[in-house]
Amino acid sequence: MRAGLPPARVNHTSTANGTDTGLEVSTQAVEAEIRDRADPQQVLADRVAQLYRQMPIAIGATFIAGGIATFELQGRWLKELVYIWWGIVVTFSAAASLLLYAYYRSADKVDGAPQWLRWVGIAALGNGASWGLAGGVFFRSLSDEQQVFLAFLFAGMASVGIPVYAASWPIFALYAAGILGPFFYVLLTFGNRLFVEIALLVPLFYVINVVIAYRLTQVFHSGYRLRHAYGKLTQDHRLLNRRLEKQLVELEEARRQVEASGRKLALFAERAPIAVLELQPDGTVAEVNSAAEILFGYAASELVGGPLKKLVVPDFHAEFDRTWRQLVTMRESVAGLKIRNPRRDGAELICEWTVTPLVNFQREVIAVIAQGRDVTAQLEAERMKKEFTSTLSHELRTPLTSIIGSLQLINSGVMGDVEKEIAELTTVAERNGQRLLDLINDILDIEKIESGKLTLTPEVTPVDELVRESMVLNKGFGERFKVRFQSLGDIADRKVNVDRKRLLQVMTNLLSNAAKFSPEGGVVEISTEDAGPSVRVGIHDRGSGIPEAFRTRIFGRFAQADSTATRQKGGTGLGLAICKRLIELMHGRIGFEDRPGGGTTFWFELPRHTT
Amino acid sequence: MPDRPLNRICYVEDDEDIQRIVRLSLERVGKMTVAVVSDPTQAIATIAEFRPDLVMLDWMMPVLDGPALFRQMKLRPDTSALPVVFITAKAAQRDLDELKALGAAGTISKPFSPKDLPDQLRAIWASLP
Repeated sequence: MRAGLPPARVNHTSTANGTDTGLEVSTQAVEAEIRDRADPQQVLADRVAQLYRQMPIAIGATFIAGGIATFELQGRWLKELVYIWWGIVVTFSAAASLLLYAYYRSADKVDGAPQWLRWVGIAALGNGASWGLAGGVFFRSLSDEQQVFLAFLFAGMASVGIPVYAASWPIFALYAAGILGPFFYVLLTFGNRLFVEIALLVPLFYVINVVIAYRLTQVFHSGYRLRHAYGKLTQDHRLLNRRLEKQLVELEEARRQVEASGRKLALFAERAPIAVLELQPDGTVAEVNSAAEILFGYAASELVGGPLKKLVVPDFHAEFDRTWRQLVTMRESVAGLKIRNPRRDGAELICEWTVTPLVNFQREVIAVIAQGRDVTAQLEAERMKKEFTSTLSHELRTPLTSIIGSLQLINSGVMGDVEKEIAELTTVAERNGQRLLDLINDILDIEKIESGKLTLTPEVTPVDELVRESMVLNKGFGERFKVRFQSLGDIADRKVNVDRKRLLQVMTNLLSNAAKFSPEGGVVEISTEDAGPSVRVGIHDRGSGIPEAFRTRIFGRFAQADSTATRQKGGTGLGLAICKRLIELMHGRIGFEDRPGGGTTFWFELPRHTT
Repeated sequence: MPDRPLNRICYVEDDEDIQRIVRLSLERVGKMTVAVVSDPTQAIATIAEFRPDLVMLDWMMPVLDGPALFRQMKLRPDTSALPVVFITAKAAQRDLDELKALGAAGTISKPFSPKDLPDQLRAIWASLP
C-alpha cells in the first residue's frame, strides 16, 4: 500500500526553508515544487512531440512558398538553377515528411526524444538552408520587384519558424540562421548603401526573433512541466484516495467490531449479578447497572450525574477521598476494597469493591469502573462462624474440664478406693470424655489452620530432641496398646526451625496412629536421616497396612479406613489432615509408603536449618 | 526460685464444678491449702486476708474478668507482688501472649488434668525469681 507513493516533498521544502507549516510557503515556491515533480524526460518528449506536430505546417509552408517562388523566378536565365533549387526543396519536404511518418510510427517517443529532437534540428537546418541557398544564389541577379518579393518571402518564412520551432529555440535559431545568414551576406556585399543598411537590420531582427523563440521555449517548457507535475499529482491523489477508501472500509469494520464488543461488554455489565458503576475521574457517577439499582435501592437516574459519595457512609468520606485520589494517581486497579455503603432505605451494606481506572493512550484516566459485591451476609456468616468456634472452644471445653477432671480424680485413686466395676465404668467415661475433647481440639485446630489464623512460633531445635520428647510423651499411650517405641539407629544431630509444640502434635498423631494399628507387643521404630537439604523422620509400624481404597484420601478431613477400626481404636479422623497442614506450614512435606516385610512407614521431611 | 515450697493457693473461679475439682486436686493430690473465691469482686479482700503464695485466676468471669482483676491487684501494694497464674479455655496464642505481657507468672489451659495440676503449678513456682 505504501509503495508507489512519493514522499511528501512539500514538507521537505518547508523544513528546508526553516518554516514548520506548509501555509507559510509562497505560491511561487509551491509552483516550483510542483514543477519539480515532473519527469524531465517526459517534458522533453512533450516538447519534441510539439515540434513534430508543427512539422506539417513547416512542410506545407515550405512547399507552397517554394512553389510560388519557383513560379515567380523561373522566367529568367536561371531557369535550370531554379528548378534544381525546387528539386532540393521538394526533396527536403519529402525527407521531412518521411521523418514525420517515422516519428508517428515510433514506439519510443519518450526514451528516444533526444534523438528525435536532433532529427528535427537537422530537418529545420536543411529547410532554412534551402531558403538561404535561394537567397545566396538568386538574389543578386533578380529584378528589383523580385528582390522585394524574395526579401518578403524570407522575412515571412523566418517569422513562420517562430511558432513552428518555438518548442526548441536552438532549432529555430539554426533554421533562421540558415535563411538569414546567406541573405545577410548578399545584402552586405551588394554594394548598394540601402541594402547595407537593411543587411545591418537583419541580425537585429534575427536576435529579436531568437529571443522571442527563447521566451516561447521557456513558456512551453514550463507549461509541459506543470502539465506533467499535475498529472503526477492527480495520480498520487488517486492512489491516496484509493488508500483512504480502503482505510475507511477498515475503520468502518473496526468501528463495527468495537460497537459489537461494546454491546457485549454493556450486556455483561447490565446482566451481571454484581453492581457495576462507571464513574468519571472526578467521582461522578456516569452509569450504573440494574444490579446496582437493586442493591442500593436507587433508580439509575437518581445516581447518574451525582457524586459516588452518595453510596458511601459519611464517616468514611475522608478516607474515601484519599483512596480515590490515590487510585486516580496510581492508575492501578484495586481489589478487595471493603466499603460500608448506605442504601436508599437507610440500611447499611458492606460491599467488596474492585475498582479499575481506564486510561487512554496518553495515560490519562478517562473513566473508573467499580464492581461491587454485597458481602454483608458473608461477613455476618464469618462472624457467626467465629462466634461458634469461640463457643465451641469455651462452652464445650468448660463442662468437659469438669467431667474429665472429676473422672481423673476418681480413677487416679486420690479419692480412695472404688469398687472394681465402678472403676471400669469411670475409666470408660474418662476415655470417651478425652475422645470428645480430642475431637473438639482437632476441629478447632483444623478450623484455625484453614482460616489462616494459626500462627507458628518457630525455634531452632535439634531433631533428635523432638523425637525423644515425643517418644516420652507417647510412652503411656503406647503402653495402652502394648506397643513399644524405639529409635532406629543413630539419630543424626540435625536442627530444624519449627514450632516445637506443633511438631510434637504431629509426632503424637503419627506415633499414636502407629501404636493403634500395631499388633500387640509390637515395636514402632522411629528413624531420622538426611534427605537432600531436608531431614526425614520416619515412623515405621508392623500394622496391616493402608487399604488401597483409602490411600488417596488418607490426608483428607474425617478420613478413616473403616468405621470398625475407628470404633475399636478411637480417633477423630482429623489427625492426619492436621499433620499434613502443619508440616506444610513448616515448609515440609508428608507422606507414607508400604514397609518391606509388612506394615506402613509414615514420614515427613523438614528443611534442615543451616546457620 | 522462692526459698519455701508452694503451699497456699487462692483460686478465683465462678464455675462451682471446676472450683470443686481444682480444690480436690490441689488438696488431695498436691497437699496444698486452698481458698476458693466465687465472686471476683470479693477476690481482693479474700486475697488480702488469706495471704496466698500464688493466685489462680479464671479468665472469663461475669462482672470482673481475670485480666481486669489482675490489673486491680497490680494497683494494690498488698497484692501487687503476688504471682498470678491464669487458667483459661482460650487456646489462641495471642491471648496467652497477652497474659504474659500483663505479667502473669504462667498459664494453664482448660481442660487441665487434676492429676498433673499441682505439678504444673509447682513448675511455675519453681521458675519464679
